[in-house]
Order: sequence, then structure tokens, then C-alpha cells
Amino acid sequence: MKLGVLSPDRPFIWMLPLIAILIAFTIIPLFYNIWLSFHEYAPFKRALEPVGLKNWSLLLSDERMWEALGTTILYFVVVLTAEVVLGMGIALLLDTEEFGFGFLRTVLTLTLVVPPAIVGMMYLLIEDPEFGVLTYVLDAAGLLDKATPILSTASTALWGVMLADIWQWTPFMVLIFLAGLRSLPPEPYEAAMLDGASAVMTFRRITLPLLNKVIAVAILIRGIDVFRMFDYVFVMTSGGPGTSTYTLSLYAWQQTFSFIKWGYGATLSLFTLAIILIVANLFIYIAKVRW
Amino acid sequence: MMVRSKSSRMVRTIVGWAVVALFAFPLYYWMTVAFKEGNEIFNWPPKVWSFTPTIKNFEEVFGISFGFGFGEQREVLPGGGNFRMGPRLWDSIVIAILSTALAITIATLASYALSRMNFRGRHHFVSWVLSTRMMPPVAVAIPIFFIYKDIGLLDTYTGVILIHALMNLPLAVLLMKSFFDDIPGEIDESALVDGASRWLIFRRIVLPMVKGGIAATAVLCFIFSWTEFLFVLTLTQTGLKTVPVVSSTFVTSTGTAWGSMAALGAAAMIPAFIFILLVQKHLVRGLTLGSVKQ
Amino acid sequence: MKDSDRKLYRAKIVDDYVRGRMSRRSFLRNASALGLGAGVLGTGMMRPTPTFAQNALEPSKEVLDWVREVSKPFSGTTLRLATESTPPSNAINSQLKKYFEEASGMTVEIETLPLEQVLQKLTLDIASQLGTYDLYYIDQSWAASVSRDVFDPREQIANNPDLAMPNYNIDDFMPALVDGIAKYEDRWVGVPYDIPIFIMQYRKDIYDKMGFGAPETLEEYYEQAKAITDENGPNLYGATGQMKSGHYSLECDWTAWLWGHGGSIFGPDGKFTGNDERGLEAMEYWTRLAQTMPPGVNGWTWDGEGQSVAQGVAASMMSWGEFFPYFDDPSATKVSGLMAAARCPKPKNPLRTVTETGYGEIPGVGHQGGSSLAVSRNSKNPDAAWIFMQWATCYDTQVLITALGGGTGPTRDSVYNDERIKANARVGAGTTRHLDVVRETIALDMGSEPDLPQWAELSNDTIPVRLGKYFAGEYASAKEAMDDIAQAVDKVVSG
Repeated sequence: MKLGVLSPDRPFIWMLPLIAILIAFTIIPLFYNIWLSFHEYAPFKRALEPVGLKNWSLLLSDERMWEALGTTILYFVVVLTAEVVLGMGIALLLDTEEFGFGFLRTVLTLTLVVPPAIVGMMYLLIEDPEFGVLTYVLDAAGLLDKATPILSTASTALWGVMLADIWQWTPFMVLIFLAGLRSLPPEPYEAAMLDGASAVMTFRRITLPLLNKVIAVAILIRGIDVFRMFDYVFVMTSGGPGTSTYTLSLYAWQQTFSFIKWGYGATLSLFTLAIILIVANLFIYIAKVRW
Repeated sequence: MMVRSKSSRMVRTIVGWAVVALFAFPLYYWMTVAFKEGNEIFNWPPKVWSFTPTIKNFEEVFGISFGFGFGEQREVLPGGGNFRMGPRLWDSIVIAILSTALAITIATLASYALSRMNFRGRHHFVSWVLSTRMMPPVAVAIPIFFIYKDIGLLDTYTGVILIHALMNLPLAVLLMKSFFDDIPGEIDESALVDGASRWLIFRRIVLPMVKGGIAATAVLCFIFSWTEFLFVLTLTQTGLKTVPVVSSTFVTSTGTAWGSMAALGAAAMIPAFIFILLVQKHLVRGLTLGSVKQ
Repeated sequence: MKDSDRKLYRAKIVDDYVRGRMSRRSFLRNASALGLGAGVLGTGMMRPTPTFAQNALEPSKEVLDWVREVSKPFSGTTLRLATESTPPSNAINSQLKKYFEEASGMTVEIETLPLEQVLQKLTLDIASQLGTYDLYYIDQSWAASVSRDVFDPREQIANNPDLAMPNYNIDDFMPALVDGIAKYEDRWVGVPYDIPIFIMQYRKDIYDKMGFGAPETLEEYYEQAKAITDENGPNLYGATGQMKSGHYSLECDWTAWLWGHGGSIFGPDGKFTGNDERGLEAMEYWTRLAQTMPPGVNGWTWDGEGQSVAQGVAASMMSWGEFFPYFDDPSATKVSGLMAAARCPKPKNPLRTVTETGYGEIPGVGHQGGSSLAVSRNSKNPDAAWIFMQWATCYDTQVLITALGGGTGPTRDSVYNDERIKANARVGAGTTRHLDVVRETIALDMGSEPDLPQWAELSNDTIPVRLGKYFAGEYASAKEAMDDIAQAVDKVVSG
């Protein structure tokens, strides 16, 4: 058979459907957005007009954008760290075949099947300033009284949103880390036990180095999603109070849909994409992730 | 692993249950809301254990009161009413299953090649696939809206299924590649030497060996499609709607119908959870994302 | 609870129970709360005593016959409408549209969404000239930007007399609403469809106990709210609000206090005037009043605000009258039968007139948030859509919506006088006992926001984000906050 590049022995034919759908749905939108970022929707003409570099210069001088970027970074760092650390802790805790733990692992995955938009509503209720369960618990524990409503105090609102994210996605990290722990070879542990190493030492010297690739990939995958996070802030605070919980995604959404500034919205999205691309590739390079 | 004393096993059991209970509590509380009447949802202190359960919310959400004559029908209560969400649940199921099937098919083919065939730039190709997940959804939604408008995919199952499959492809490719990597390449090679074609090897030998991996990948794709919000919001109109989008119907001008929203949310957890239960074993085993074995 | 209220309420729950709308359990619970002994459950009380005849709540045959007649060429057509989830839309969608569909042979698909998602759908539809939606639900704050994309109903009547509904009587829509909601420059952007408007809603029992009457002036309202909060806080607060930062609702509250102090958003020259002397007076008042509200108020839209009254945390709210029927619903709230409605307090300084403001802004303490219904110019079936629109906004349908749909404010003057509406003026879910106040407020107190294409951005972001910052304490003074808003608003307006 002379099929050349289309031969089943060559990779191209296998990847053709993937390449086709990715080009149709990501390359075209990408170029469209680049084109859009040099235009702006003119409401009176019901049409897009070229505006040159205006959107890009606006981007650099837009204080709201820089503030949103800062919020996004803070959110990104805190949420990702919490999810990785908690995820690892819980994975170690649940990594046993003792009675009942299979059930516990199953229950934990339940948080993943609730749509984030509904999780937002759920936490809105839980953190309600007058009737919320969390408000009640914090008030009873004397940590935060009712006069400081979580989601409408500038200094606490973002934390209230983070809580929803961490609650929903920590179990996802647990699943990944559990899979990693299960795939580890038993020999190093046997050796460590013979040496009488402590549990902490075993974890630091053996588990962590063996798992570092799993951790790196988990951070990469989850990190991309955390940076683009939209549903929770959209539902819970719409960016408030003031501008204290505006993330880049929310800001781009608002420019696009509320103010019909499609050009500027596209510019913001491209900027977000650029940041993620750079950071992610840097991370892939530093953490030596190879596929 | 290490031998543990009885007391440390005890501690582990207690802590394990406590941690999971902490994660389960918000869901439990949400469930109680689904079974509460409006005036029991808001209380200080909040009613966590004791309340009078009612199935009214489920009746309203799934239109069980449908079929009464006009005269006997309920008034349209502010912030509530009959929404008949049954068909919307069906929309969600159809979209999640078909988009999962599509994503798995495409990803399996591609990742087999990525796992078995060496070619220049393979690493960059995988990175590029992953990078298609980095675009903020808003930036994808608008161009897709206009493309769909021109080719008539707006407000159709096909349109939503395609975009959900796309959204899941990067993760599916990474996962499937890792499962293929777990199977020794020698198996393929010896079969090749015996004169079998690639396609035959793929179908008869390798594919059956990654069944568990396909299940684990499928459940993640299913969940992501099941919970996706922004694409469905933008690309559908009246023809179909999935659960996350249709939930916002309960946010009305006279307040949020919390009971109805919780009832729908609770009902919508069931299909996805059944799916998880079916593949639970593979899920925990398989999610290393191909990063342990090289 | 006054004795007469108690009687009304008792009649209502018995009525509900007999008609199968209330479970035996909750009936007994409510009955014992009202001091009804088991004796009243005897045969005498079991006879239904409906406040109106059942068959009176069916669509008029005359109207349906007209629909049947004119719809013949359009049988099989599908009409689409995206609307906020409001009482009229829910009533039409869940109960009334089937009569229309049956008579006309058309299919009506109604997408109910939160307000901001409606705007998103509408914008995309207009920008893409797609014509997915045959009818537009237009909030008054969007009227300016949508005006060129819809038909003027008066022209539709004139150009297409064959399809005009007899006795539709377009002049029956309350003139104040036509001005405030539907009109942009000289065009009608549809007809007024619903009218949520600020009225004073307060807990009669608490006000009676404190020896207060309905507040006459804004200052009196503050004194009452403060007294209640001082005596009962943190279990009960005197006032409440919809002050979620960056949300349209916060802007609504602001305008009520601003107008109530004789201020205005814009001056005749089109410049922002919320930072003038009266504007600052309003801010000083509002800041004081906010101290009497529950601390969570800064995170609430109308949703949380309504909930705070419904669950007995706040004793009053000057806000959307639409909530009143909900408060009377004993299964959803703790204040059924305890609420009273009154006109808003009188403004402190004389209201500015339209000539003293800009962009058609009409100052008045009773802030309105109405919307209109119009046929889209992009629609592929504008005539069929026009038939539906007339049916949905005709006298008969509005009566049914109001009687069924939780006593929302009708936009037609004559509907307020209908016997079926008056019969529903009893305590209980879907009451209409506040509608006289709504009607008076529309005629006498109504305030309307300015109409300019940038208004959507100003009212949803520019103003409420900065007001949110002010209440979060990020400005040194109200003056600083208002000056900042002035500068930002003028920048947006000048483009």
C-alpha cells in the first residue's frame, strides 16, 4: 500500500480528527479575536469599526485591568496552593484499604458533579450574612461576627469565593494524587521501613520525589482552569464589593456582554491567554514536564 | 507499606471520616434546602437537622402537578411556579453522553499515535493541544456564536456537543496517552512483526487493554460537560438547555426560588453520580495523567 | 395582627385548604397559630367559600375567538421571547400561553432568565441581526439602545388594521408608564409590560407596637428605622436595602434617595449632578439610614433585601412593590398578613422637573423598574408576533396575569378596577391588596431613570461599583466618592 502520509503506520491519519476539530474551534476563534482586538463595536451603526491600537493602549492604561490582574493572581496562588496541599494531605489520609475508606473516596467525588454555577449559589446561601450556616459557625466561634458579612466586606469577599473553589476542586486533586500514590513501586518503602525512617521522612524523601511529575501535571491542569475562573465570582459577588473580586475573566465577560465592547473584551481575553501561555510553558520547562 | 498500630489506625479512621464529613456537609445542607418550604430555608440559627420535609419543590420543578385543570391549578407564586425541568435533564444527559463519546473517540485515536509513533515535535504537539484549553471561554464563545449562526448550528444538540467535545479534548488526549503509555510497546511490535496491521493491533489488542482508562477519561469528560455553563448559555436559545444554565431561571425579579433550585440541583447530581460509581475503580487508578511512567 | 386581618387570613387559609392548595399539616399548623380550635374544622367550615367563581378566571371567549380568526395564516409558526423571570412572564409561560397556542395554532417558546442574561441574549440578537427572538423584553434602562430595532406599536396598528385587536385600546396604558418605560424620543419602544415600582412596605405589627404610622417624610422614616434598630438590633432592623456593590440594584436605591432630596443624576447640560449640594445631602441621609439596616445589606440585591423582610429580620423596605404578594405567602415567609403598604415618604426638597434634568430623567421617590414588550424588526414573523403581543398585553390577559401571577402591578389603568383583581385583595399568596398604593405611586410619585445609550454601562457598573466602594469605606468622604463618580460618568458619556 502506498498511502504516504495517510498510511496507518504514520501518525497523521490517527490525529486528523483531533487536528481538524482543534483548528476549527481554536485557531479560527484565535484569529477572530486578534482581528477583533483592532476593532470595536459601534452601537449606532450596528457594526464593527477599525480602531487601530486603541484597545491595546487602553489595556495598558486601564487601572481596573491591573487591579483585576492582581486579584486573579492572588486568587490563583491561594486556591492552587490550598488545593494541592489539602489534596495531597487527604490523598495520603485516604490511601488505605481499611474498612470504609472506599466509601469515603466515593463520597468525596460528589463535589465534582455539582455545576460550579450551582456551587456558587450554594455558597451564597451558606455564607449569607443573616441566615448562612458558615456565618453562624464563625459567629458562634467568635471568629467573625455578623457585622462583618463575608461576601460584602472588601477584605473577606475574595476568601469567601475561594472557599467554594477549594471545596469543589480539592477532591479532584485527591483523585489524581491517589492515582499517583497507587502507582508507586513498593521497594523504596520497604527499604525505608527497614531503616526505621519516620513517616514524615519517608514522605519527604521517597513519596514526594516519586510523585513530583504527578504533582506538576496536576498543578498545570488545574492552574489553567483556576486562572480563567469565572462561574464563582460571576454568581457570588459579580466582582464586588467595589472592584475587590473582579478577575480577568469576569472583567472580559462584562466588557463583552454588558457593555458590548467586543473589541476590548477580545483584547482582555488575548492578554489573559498570553499570560497563561507564558506561565504554563515556563512551568513546563522548569518542572521538566515531558509528554 | 508500613505496619501501623491499632491506635494510629483509629486516628486515621476518625480523621478520615471527619474530613469527608466536612466536604459532604455543604451538599447535605443543599439537599435539606430541596426538601424545605421557603420559610424554613432562612432561619437564625440555620435549620440543619430539624425541619418539616416536603416534596413540594420536586413537584413544582418536575411539573408533577401538570394535568390539573386551569381552575384548580396553583397560582404562579412569586419566585416559583411550574417549570417542568424533566426535558432539560434529558438535554443534559444527551449532550453529556454524546459529547463524551465524541471526545473519547477522537482522543483515543490521536493518543494511540502519540503514544506509539515517534515523530518530530511530538512534545510540542501535546503542549499545543493542552494550550487550546487556555483561552478564556468568553473569547471562544463569541466567534463560535457567529460561526454557528452562519452554518445553522446555533441552538442545536450538534453545536453544543461539538463545543463540549472540544473543551474536553486536551484533558482526554493527555489521559488516554498515559493509559497507552502504560502498556508495553513490545506487544505492538511483536504483532507488527507477525504481519498485523496497525489498525488491527489497535482494535484487537491495545484497545481492550485500555478499557479501564477509557472509563476513567469518560467520567471526567462527562462531568465537565455536565457542569459547563458559559457555552450553553451563549449557544442555545429555546431549543435546549442544560441543568447549570436552566438553574438560573430560578433567579427571578421577586427573589430566588431556592427550594426549586436545590431540588433541580439535587436531582441533577444523580445521573452524574451513577456514572462515577460505575467507573470508580478505574478513576482512582488511572488519573496519573501519564506522568509517572516515562 | 388586627382582628380584621386575622379574619381575612383565616378565610384565606381555609379557602386554600379546601381547594387543595395547602396540605392538611400546614393547614393545621397555621390554623392553630391563629387560635382556631379543632371545632372550626367541623362541616360548616369545610364548605368552599371561594372569593371568586372558578370559571371567572378563564380567558374571555371573545379574545380567543379573535386570536383564532386572525391567526389562520400563521398556524404552525413558532414565536420566541427571552424575558426576565418576572411574575407576568411566569404566568404567561406556565399557565396562559396554552390558551393562545390552542387558539392560534402557533407555538410560543419563552426563555426565562435573570435580567443580565436577557440583556446578553438581546444584544447578540441585535448585533447579529439574527431574528431568533420575535419579541423583545426591554428593561426601561435599555430603551434608548434598542429603540431602532423594534416596531412602534402605534405604527403597527395603523399599518395593519386587519390584525389590530378590537378594543385593544392602546390609550388604556397608564400615561406615566408610557412616558417612563416605553417612550424614547418620539417613538414607542413597545408597550409597557410590567411595572415593579418602589413603595413603602412595612411591618404593621411592629410599627403599631412602636406607636408609629406609615412615615410621611424621609426624616420621619429614618427616625422610625433608627428607633426600631436601637431597640431590637441585631434581631430586628428598622430598614433594609438592595446595596450589592457593582449591581444595578444599588443604583436603584441611590436614585430614590437622590431624587427624594431634590437632586438628579444629570443636569440639563448632560453633566452628572449627583455631586451637587442636594446630591451630597442625599448621601448624608443614605449613610445614616444604612446604619439602621442589617450589616449584610451591602451584599444583597432585591433578592436578599426581600428575604430580610420576608424572614422577619427587617421591619420595612422602601422597594419593589412586586415583593408584596410574596410576603403574604405563608409557606414562604414569616410575615404573611403582617405587612402593610403605603406611598413612599414625601421628598425632603422639591423634586426637580424634567427641564432641570438631562436625558429625559424624571425625578420621583417611587423609582420604577418597568419593562416593555415589543416586536423585533429582525423577526421573520413580525405579524404573528404582533398578534401574540396584543394578546399578551390586552386587558383580559393582564387581569388573568395579575390575578394568577402574584399581584404584579398591571400597566393598564382599567385592570386595577376589575372585580377579579379586587376580589384577590385578601391576605395570602398572590394578594392584590397593595395595588391601590401601586396605582397611586405610579400616578404621583414615580421616578424614571434617564434614557441614553450609555445608561446600561453607567447603571450597571460605573455608578454602583463606586457606590459599593463608598459603603466599603474606600473613600474618605461622600464628596470624594461622588466627585469620582462624576468624573467617571462624564468620561463614559463623552465616549
